[in-house]
Amino acid sequence: MSEQLLVVRDLATTFHTPSGPLRAVGGVSFDLGQNETLGIVGESGSGKTVLSRTIMGLQPRTNVEVTGSVLVNGFEVVGASERDKRAIWGLQVAMVFQDPMTSLNPVMRVGKQIDEILRVRLGLDRRAARDRAIELLELVGIPSPAERYDVYPGELSGGMRQRVVIATALAGSPQLLLADEPTTGLDVTIQAQILNLLDRLKERLHMSVVLVTHDLGVVATRSSRIIVMYAGRIVEIGSTRDVFARHRMPYTRALLEGSPKISNPSHTRLKAIPGRPPNLADLPGGCAFAPRCSFATDRCREERPELEPAGEVGHAFACWHPLPLVQKVLA
Amino acid sequence: MSDTAPLLRVRDLTVTYGTHRRKLSAVAGVSFEIREGETLGLVGESGCGKSTTGRALMRIVEPSAGSIELEGTELTTTTGKELRQLRTRMQMIFQDPISSLNPRRRVRDIVAEPLDCWRRAEGVERTTIVNNLLGKVGIDPDVYGDRYPRQFSGGQCQRISIARSLAMRPKLLICDEMVSALDVSVQAQILNLLEDLKAEYGLTLLFIAHDLAVVKNVSDRVAVMYLGKICEIGPADTLYESPEHPYTSFLLGAALEADPDSPVRGEVLAGEPPSPLRPPSGCRFRTRCPNATAKCANEEPPLVEVAPAHSVACHYPLSTLARR
Repeated sequence: MSEQLLVVRDLATTFHTPSGPLRAVGGVSFDLGQNETLGIVGESGSGKTVLSRTIMGLQPRTNVEVTGSVLVNGFEVVGASERDKRAIWGLQVAMVFQDPMTSLNPVMRVGKQIDEILRVRLGLDRRAARDRAIELLELVGIPSPAERYDVYPGELSGGMRQRVVIATALAGSPQLLLADEPTTGLDVTIQAQILNLLDRLKERLHMSVVLVTHDLGVVATRSSRIIVMYAGRIVEIGSTRDVFARHRMPYTRALLEGSPKISNPSHTRLKAIPGRPPNLADLPGGCAFAPRCSFATDRCREERPELEPAGEVGHAFACWHPLPLVQKVLA
Repeated sequence: MSDTAPLLRVRDLTVTYGTHRRKLSAVAGVSFEIREGETLGLVGESGCGKSTTGRALMRIVEPSAGSIELEGTELTTTTGKELRQLRTRMQMIFQDPISSLNPRRRVRDIVAEPLDCWRRAEGVERTTIVNNLLGKVGIDPDVYGDRYPRQFSGGQCQRISIARSLAMRPKLLICDEMVSALDVSVQAQILNLLEDLKAEYGLTLLFIAHDLAVVKNVSDRVAVMYLGKICEIGPADTLYESPEHPYTSFLLGAALEADPDSPVRGEVLAGEPPSPLRPPSGCRFRTRCPNATAKCANEEPPLVEVAPAHSVACHYPLSTLARR
């Protein structure tokens, strides 16, 4: 097995709120190899964003407790000082956030925002930084990059802004790119452009990508492995094919079958599950999905299932009553 | 089917924003009909004018030209009390379920508001109607009736919005991105609920959304908008299976299916929609269209029927292109 770029072990992030501790992420373990794309899927409140921020080492300074371990290329992120983390931020791991407008400085020319990293972190001089920034703008597919260097984020469309954010993230040539809902809020044709861009960049720059999204469609064809999260925990993990075709956790099925599909005729009845994602501050004992699950028994309500390996390599699920394996013929 | 008069008939609807100097036609001559009991889906990317079209029908924004007929009554020239009266026959549900409910009012009063405005029901009758409506959308009136919107999740607030919209027993429901803000598992519940209520209340729907899969799921017919104009309209299944307009085809190609075996289209639509302040001459899509010719720049393609009930505004519909 090749060297793992990212090793996460038993990671938990707990926020101390006035109404008590809120465990946003709990007991999360996974590995990510070189040049691999991992999709993390979940609904709002599933902990996917907190997980990606915790991997990055971005948490508020107070009222938060992180336990477990996150090794990025051998560097332990959990417990590291901000000063130490700066050594990997941008250079080994970078992040692309959902909203490109708020992750750019609105009163700074876009080129300068890319320059900043190049000059401060890589020690390039003004001239070289400018040239490199224009190269990066070109790399992410911004037309006439030399002119766009001088515009402000507000003068760009949402898709173009997200390209600038990606260029900024790539400036330090990181090996790991965390993309948190990078295409949410963008139109479908623009979304396709950005996802294709990320794919191309990953190959070209030999990066690994963690793609965090609520949309199974985004990860279906872009990632080799998928993690499904619910209430802060991994409920199913496996290769994309296993998760789609041989999923065992009822929640994974609910996610897959609950969303309308273009290939289905109109007026196809959706297989909806009742209820909504749970409140993390008030989690039920046992399996967090039990209140919405049609297979739930007393055991589910009392005892939390741990991740159990399924038949396939790297495929695991957390459920007391896993779905029977239906052989779906894959082309 | 075609011999019955449509419930809603829209002709050359135009909505122009801005002053005389900088005019922006968000909707630039849109025509369609919706028959009673039908669901028309309206899809397109942001800025294509789909929401403005919905709002213009309700006269939330004023149309600058064109006509809107609801059950034979012209809406664009009506004013005052008459307009208010007409509006009870059509209701709108918005994207953000939380901000479309008054945070300082109890749920049962929010649902009763239309009844109170029109003094349709009082006392026991009012309570019965409200309880019934809340029950229909899956909110237990005895437990939740006295709560405030902030005590509900997005999905529940959208249920309350639906209950309120049904209070006047409208004929037409305009849903503007009503499930876009909801989680996948909640979205399915709301879409199923909408289908059930549509059947029960005999509703006619205009369903506006950007999500192609969601639109197909609820619609009988679908209209695709680009830069203020309808570029294709047709039966949902036909339009998705064999799109005639290159834009529809690109849009469908860019949509992501939750299926690892779905083909990844290498060919994605390049560029971004041009500014509606300066729309291209002729066909509005020509600047991004791989099939565009000089004719496309000079002549605006009219919306013509290529198959029964399936119309496309393109000089070179894809089926004719394939034949050549």
